[in-house]
Amino acid sequence: MTTTSPQATRKYDLGFARWVYENVDGGDRLALCMQCGTCSGSCPVGTQMDYGPRKLFMMIRAGMKDAVLSSNTLWNCVSCYNCVVRCPRQVPVTYILHDLAVVAVREGYKEAVESDNARFSAAFNFSAERYGRTDERIVTGKFYFSEGLSAGFKKGMDNMKIAWNMVKTKRMPLGLPHKIKGKGELKTILDKAREIEERHKGGGKGN
Amino acid sequence: MSDQQPRSQTILVVGGGISGVTAALEAAEAGYETVLLEAGPSLGGRVAQLNRYFPKLCHPTCGLEINYQRIRKNPRVKVFTMAQVDGVSGERGNYSVTVKTSPRYVNANCTACGACAEASETKVADPFDYGLGETTAAHLPHEMAFPMRYVIDPSVIGTPEAQKIKDACKYDAIDLEETEQTFDLQVGAIVWATGWRPYDPANLTNYNHASLPDVVNNVEMERLAAHDGPTGGRITRPSDGTEAKRVAMIQCAGSRDLNHLPYCSRICCLASMKHAAYVREQYADAQVDIYYIDIRAHDKLEAFYNKLKVDPQVSWIKSKPSAIEAGPDGRPVVKGENTITREIYAAPYDLVVLATGMEPSVAGEHLPVNTGQDEYSFVVPAQPAEEGVAAAGVASGPLDVSMSTQSATAAALKAIQAVAGPAR
Ligand SMILES: Cc1cc2nc3c(=O)[nH]c(=O)nc-3n(C[C@H](O)[C@H](O)[C@H](O)COP(=O)(O)OP(=O)(O)OC[C@H]3O[C@@H](n4cnc5c(N)ncnc54)[C@H](O)[C@@H]3O)c2cc1C
Ligand code: SF4
Ligand code: SF4
Repeated sequence: MTTTSPQATRKYDLGFARWVYENVDGGDRLALCMQCGTCSGSCPVGTQMDYGPRKLFMMIRAGMKDAVLSSNTLWNCVSCYNCVVRCPRQVPVTYILHDLAVVAVREGYKEAVESDNARFSAAFNFSAERYGRTDERIVTGKFYFSEGLSAGFKKGMDNMKIAWNMVKTKRMPLGLPHKIKGKGELKTILDKAREIEERHKGGGKGN
Repeated sequence: MSDQQPRSQTILVVGGGISGVTAALEAAEAGYETVLLEAGPSLGGRVAQLNRYFPKLCHPTCGLEINYQRIRKNPRVKVFTMAQVDGVSGERGNYSVTVKTSPRYVNANCTACGACAEASETKVADPFDYGLGETTAAHLPHEMAFPMRYVIDPSVIGTPEAQKIKDACKYDAIDLEETEQTFDLQVGAIVWATGWRPYDPANLTNYNHASLPDVVNNVEMERLAAHDGPTGGRITRPSDGTEAKRVAMIQCAGSRDLNHLPYCSRICCLASMKHAAYVREQYADAQVDIYYIDIRAHDKLEAFYNKLKVDPQVSWIKSKPSAIEAGPDGRPVVKGENTITREIYAAPYDLVVLATGMEPSVAGEHLPVNTGQDEYSFVVPAQPAEEGVAAAGVASGPLDVSMSTQSATAAALKAIQAVAGPAR
């Protein structure tokens, strides 16, 4: 993705929609959406979404960039792929929602940056990159404290009992976090992923 | 082909539905010998299985009976039922066609007195009712059969029951020794009018047609409403036979869907509106909900739509339902998102009708004639005048009856041009 997505400057401005069609993963098929409602109706968390995929897609066409990128629909998707298998136009709804979430964080939308999912993803990546695995203590710690020191401390205390039970049943270790063996290989994989992302940012598609 | 070679001016029509019958008659009435082949035991095709047909809601008897009169009066039309094309060779003006007939076990002596059916005990699923009802092994294909002649289901052949059936016939019309036959025809042109079949609702796994008895498709709905159907024309729930008063129509069930039939079947919107009219006529307190992506009532058919739209007991819900599931009381529950209100609904019904589309009956088959088929298997003759092959009715694309007969008349003319035009 080269640029920041454009804001509508006049009524019936297709600029944002075109940008999504061209830059968001699966966006090229979004142009085929016929607003049938199958996706939103199939969604197990549909009632927990402010708009749901169908309406969100209409809002993209309507150029409502700010509302789209601060929508909780991007974050509440649980990647069940019900919508994708049923969409009569084969729109890859799930990919589109996830990539729009990335756009929303990158462009600094408060609702996105502060969303549980975005902060959890950051904590997950932190652990995964450093140790090659997700260590519960690191992921939860990072996640809890991402809301601030006192909030993190309080959350940690609230969950102490669960943590102890996990330790007792050997679901959580006590020593130093273990690193995986092939960390070098993991680095190669992640570097490659970053390289691909850079290429995408340069406007190119594919792998 | 040179001018010296023999040229047949006979026109073969394959498929005896409304389109094939029309094409054969139009060609015959223009003075050409025609042969009409029908795979089933009677002419009429899917139209005979409709309760009534839009736009005027007339009974299919009227349209079909007029055509049967025309056939009876016209010695140029030869009809073969239980007959299919086995192979074709040659070219325009000079086709040699191998026809294969399956045994009917009943010959032309039959007076349709029905004594054989009375002697028949075995029940078989009635194909005319799409298996919703049963019939006896010896049966009349349907009330308006042409020829008006009984047929015996092969499952009883070789059993004592078959002999009992034979003995019951006073006219020596039953021939239990009949076997599959083949014969050859010389024809100059061929009209392909093999029609359609309903898209298989089993493919729409989220609509549970197979597991929920009160979810039917639109061809079954025609039979539920027909006076000669399994319920005697009372629209009831297949599960318990009670009146179906809360009824949902699900449009585009498998049509306009890249996972199923990518095209619009064109007639299902009108068919569902007709079904809503059937229900409303039977029950003053009925409520019908039509779930749609957008309503496609083209040309003059919009009048039908406008008439139904003012009925306060017919609701229009802009939504493609995501699923149909069994509710706690066993009734089918339609689920989805209303795209106007954004409400996520789950509505229970007595009966749900899936508006499944029309798929060419030759889908997935390789035609024995030299002609093209489009990506959906509809028959599109490459150069009809040159090849001597034309297509009529739903074999050529999703059409209603009036469009089918227009296309059949056009196909008859193309066939005439092929046999009467200058040799190549
Ligand atoms: C639910 C529903 C309701 C409808 N209601 C209406 C309505 O109210 N009004 C309207 O105008 N239209 C209606 N239609 C459309 C209408 O049914 C079609 O337009 C009509 O059936 C087309 O006739 P046809 O002769 O082309 O095909 P068909 O009716 O399918 O006839 C084809 C014939 O060819 C025979 N055949 C098939 N293969 C072979 C073969 N290999 N060899 C020999 N014979 C073969 C078949 O046995 C059949 O008899 C409806 C459709 C549906 C699905
Ligand atoms: S299911 Fe597909 S076509 Fe229907 S509204 Fe959703 S994305 Fe659009
Ligand atoms: S993949 Fe996401 S948007 Fe699609 S149905 Fe599942 S949760 Fe809903």
